[in-house]
Amino acid sequence: MSVARDISVGELSDNRWRRAVPVYGFPLVNKFFLGLSGLVLVAFVLTGYRELAGLGPVSGMNDAYGWGIWKTFNVMVLTALGSGAFAIGIAAWVFRRKRLHSLMRMALLTSFLAYACGLLLLGIDAGRPWNFYWMVFPWKWNMHSPLAEVAICMSIYAMLPLAIENVPVVLERLWYFDSRLRPSVAKIERGLHYFFPWIIAAAYLLPGMHQSSLGALMLLAGERVHPLWQTPWLPVLYLGAACFMSFGCVVGTTMLCCLVWKRGMDWDVLEEAGRITAWLIFGWLGLRLVDIVFRGAAFTAFHFDRFALVFWLEVVLTALGGWLLLQSLKTKDARPMFLGYILSSLGGMIYRFSPTTLAFRPNPQALYFPATVEILVSLGFISLGVVAFLVAVKRLAILPAPLYEWHNMANYFRYRRPYIRWTGYFKYGYFGEDEPGAAASD
Amino acid sequence: MPITRRQLFTSAAKVGVPAAVAMTAGTEVVNAETVPLPNAPVGLLYDATMCIGCKACVSACAQANDTPPDTRGDSLHQAPSDLNDVTRNIIKLYKPADGSAFSFVKRQCMHCLDPACAAGCPFQALHKDPQSGVVSWTAEKCIGCRYCTITCPYQIPRFQWAGFNPRVTKCELCSHRLEAGLKPGCTSVCPTGAVIFGPRSVLLLEAKNRIRNHPGRYYQNRVYGEKDNGGTQALYLSGVPFEKLGLPELGPESVPARTLRWQRRFYQYFALPAVLYAGLVQVIRKNLSAHEHEALEREKETGLRAQL
Repeated sequence: MSVARDISVGELSDNRWRRAVPVYGFPLVNKFFLGLSGLVLVAFVLTGYRELAGLGPVSGMNDAYGWGIWKTFNVMVLTALGSGAFAIGIAAWVFRRKRLHSLMRMALLTSFLAYACGLLLLGIDAGRPWNFYWMVFPWKWNMHSPLAEVAICMSIYAMLPLAIENVPVVLERLWYFDSRLRPSVAKIERGLHYFFPWIIAAAYLLPGMHQSSLGALMLLAGERVHPLWQTPWLPVLYLGAACFMSFGCVVGTTMLCCLVWKRGMDWDVLEEAGRITAWLIFGWLGLRLVDIVFRGAAFTAFHFDRFALVFWLEVVLTALGGWLLLQSLKTKDARPMFLGYILSSLGGMIYRFSPTTLAFRPNPQALYFPATVEILVSLGFISLGVVAFLVAVKRLAILPAPLYEWHNMANYFRYRRPYIRWTGYFKYGYFGEDEPGAAASD
Repeated sequence: MPITRRQLFTSAAKVGVPAAVAMTAGTEVVNAETVPLPNAPVGLLYDATMCIGCKACVSACAQANDTPPDTRGDSLHQAPSDLNDVTRNIIKLYKPADGSAFSFVKRQCMHCLDPACAAGCPFQALHKDPQSGVVSWTAEKCIGCRYCTITCPYQIPRFQWAGFNPRVTKCELCSHRLEAGLKPGCTSVCPTGAVIFGPRSVLLLEAKNRIRNHPGRYYQNRVYGEKDNGGTQALYLSGVPFEKLGLPELGPESVPARTLRWQRRFYQYFALPAVLYAGLVQVIRKNLSAHEHEALEREKETGLRAQL
């Protein structure tokens, strides 16, 4: 009974992403990983200090700028990057862009980590977090408050639909881990699949609601937000920015992973994603500029001040990113595409960061710059997400790969490291059973 | 003839979608934009032209609310530079460098008729009393998100930055004294009567009387707070422009009514999100079965377990 299926030559040269394969052959713990873990530890210790000392001693927040980077960067900006499960999910599941299904596991993982780390920091940023228990009583909610909408909707989304969407990957690992688990794993999977339409639909409705409500937060600040940003369309613009930024985050991260861990790239998928992202970027930019012109705020963009600078930086970066994406589609070159994703995401990040911080003018004297501890904690919670990401892609089948990678992985573990029994994906079951398909082909 | 499930869904959608859209678009008269007024709103009338800047009201406020002295400036004098976590009431001086008219100004909560802080507060820790209209803070409901410090157009609520159990400080019109039949601390000591307490309608009449009796004394012959920001319960008269005293021109519509119009409509009765959800479920059900089918095809083709 041959364990390995014969691989045809055609399959070897076929770079289509056909299967998610764990990253193998690279050690989990390296200098980068240890450095990030160090940052996480520092952040945890400083968090303990913050809980005892209060927000004043550890942050640059003050009476004028009540919100610091923990909220405005780690939540406002990073959950936009982590909206991949929403944006790519809608493209794949609702608009049937079938090729994007291969990116879904990356999207779900990055989204979950971005939201989880953001929510953790949100709990640390809250001055009286023990009162969060009011969330359990819906009749105590202030239904018209954008912040209540964000807090409640975001927590529910990250803890239920988004977390559940990530469960099948873990179940798959269990299925390969031990053949004795397979019946129960299959049973859980069947149950999950039965409820999937409702779960997935919630996973699109909820982020659509809270990503737009994040924009609605600053509506109440009124004139204190610079006219280039303050518009009734803030919710729509925030949601739109989240869409193209999350495409940039997911596809960009996938491309980077393929580079670092030497995976083949599927140009068809990249092209499809790039085309959608370019459309999203130019649609968003169009709405943004039309809104500014129609509100009569366009003149303020030509004042020589920091607001105009931030505005042009944002617009130019986003437009340049979109243009690079279009160029890469023409020349079929992955390099400008990668750069395009990075630049457009940076532009989007500046946009999402501005209304609460860069373009927020509570009074002329007010100043805010994050304190060292604040920055360290913020970095630490980003590192936590990256560390979790590294563990996940090296232990679970997340990253899309050509089909031959799966067989290469099986060979790698079978011949190079036969003493490891627990690595799962190479060993077909505890009793040495074969893959179902492979057994039939013999 | 029995109806199929598809027919049931489509007919439900035919009724449900227009109904939800109508509920969303047509809820102008429901409590979204018109906030119920308090039954007997009480408030303050501050006349900046009568204020001599003695700050008796500042110490009376501290005494009435039992707030500790703020000596953080030089560890010696109680001299807060602005409202802060132990200062609910403060007297400031507007004095332009060119020597034109100067004015004192008393700053405390405006007790807006439609307060932005309460509109944004997620668990109603900031709450407008339906009887007296006083906007007060409840420690047990506050999560310390500081959204009130962002939303208040007058920048009144202040967060306590030090300590593990921070509080939000703002003028609550001495509601504990009102219950005992006393006037708020600041109004009980004012030597010139620059700040007086009373029902909002009476104060408004008094303010208009003063304007009528002293033509030319008051800026624009206008009471700030009569209509500004949807109306406030703290009313201001001044000889210098209100904006110089930190009272921005916000227009007659309240900030929440002006800015949250569509947000409120969209979430009215949760009708539109519910319809969207039902539609999404239907689309995804269809696409999921197609996707599962494809995954199984691929499983047969590659001999590897299907990955959804």
